[in-house]
Amino acid sequence: MEYEIRNRPAFANVLMRLTRGDSVVAESDAMASMSSSISLRTRWSGGFLSAILRRLFGGESLFMNEYSTASGGELVLTQPTPGDIECIELKGQELYLQAGAFIGCEPTVQMGLGFAGFASLFAREGLFRLKVGGQGKLWFGAYGGIVVKDIQDEFIVDSGHLIAYEPSISLNIGLAGGLFSSLFSGEGLVLKLRGPGRVYLQSRSIEALASWVNSHLI
Amino acid sequence: MQTEILARPAAAVAKLTLNAGETVTCEVGAMCAMSTGFHVETTTRQRGSGGLLAGLKRMVAGENFFLNQFTARADGEHIILGPGLAGDVIHHRLDGGTLIVQGSSWLASGPGITIDASFQGVGKALFSGESVFWLKCTGRGDLLLNSFGAVYSVDIHDTHVVDSGHIVAFEDTLQFSVGKLGDSWLQTLLSGEGFVCHFSGQGRLYCQSHSPKSFGQTLGPMLRPR
Repeated sequence: MEYEIRNRPAFANVLMRLTRGDSVVAESDAMASMSSSISLRTRWSGGFLSAILRRLFGGESLFMNEYSTASGGELVLTQPTPGDIECIELKGQELYLQAGAFIGCEPTVQMGLGFAGFASLFAREGLFRLKVGGQGKLWFGAYGGIVVKDIQDEFIVDSGHLIAYEPSISLNIGLAGGLFSSLFSGEGLVLKLRGPGRVYLQSRSIEALASWVNSHLI
Repeated sequence: MQTEILARPAAAVAKLTLNAGETVTCEVGAMCAMSTGFHVETTTRQRGSGGLLAGLKRMVAGENFFLNQFTARADGEHIILGPGLAGDVIHHRLDGGTLIVQGSSWLASGPGITIDASFQGVGKALFSGESVFWLKCTGRGDLLLNSFGAVYSVDIHDTHVVDSGHIVAFEDTLQFSVGKLGDSWLQTLLSGEGFVCHFSGQGRLYCQSHSPKSFGQTLGPMLRPR
């Protein structure tokens, strides 16, 4: 399958050219347009129980759409927020995705729900996270640009900016500075990540946009 | 009139250079900057088409009741037009054909373009869950459209499927019907895509990479009630 991530980084979207036998699994509502030669099958995302759990705790959709074609065609996938999209090829390694980051993957990629721990919950990152593994391409997106960072020991990320990380990373909650600066700097609680491993960050946070808009509503 | 689109696709604006006597009609509030040699007129009607009624129709179509007309007094006067929304602007040249534009995507048009808001039955539009009205642009001249996200064009030769939130404009040589995605209505419901538009025929379709509705559903719940 050929693909191209267009209009990066502001309004990234993925153009896919499927040939006979290709198929791609996508988040519900991710399809912008497609050839009529592509057909759709809706299925529980990762099995019934996993789908329910993901809906309840992961903030993800109950259903996934699988697009396939008998004769070939084009498919455009996108995400709800403006921002960049990244593609990585999974070769047996696993990756954790934050709620809302998943866009699509090849059907050979396995999806499941992982417990993220209470540190993640307190940092407003959710109690669960999406775990992807197996083989194949994976597309995920961000609100804003994507920054890739390989961390060796400890690294601090403000809540709302983490989109994906490798399982070798452990999460802890921490204060941005001392008690005073944490209360008044506007940073509040932050995530302390411990490596080694790779993390994907987004350059903007949708919560920050919402609070900016809220402060300007009359 | 010469057209140049700047700052694509994140925050695009159109820079127009006009000769003496040429007029561009645009949305109220679309003017970002201009040289000093323009005659500005605010009107409810476009030159040569419609009056008060046309203004009302535009209002239901998601556009402003008033229009601004900028007429160059000398050659080489330029004006920069942009939408309020972050996103793309495209230039489409009409040569006697017709372009159907989604209500809020019309930004400006040159002389020789007639805009009609009375296109299509309400039922069809209601089903698509999008703006109830479409603007029918006909004539010979330049059209400027804006979008949420980047614009990509699809030249359709047989059939194509588009999520209703991603349509910017299409040539009227295309037929379209609102319908289900997949084999059954249940599947359409579960897929989360809602209603989709099926286009058929020969012609050009402009899509936007992002859907205002999807973005609204993401941001909306975080906004405080008013």
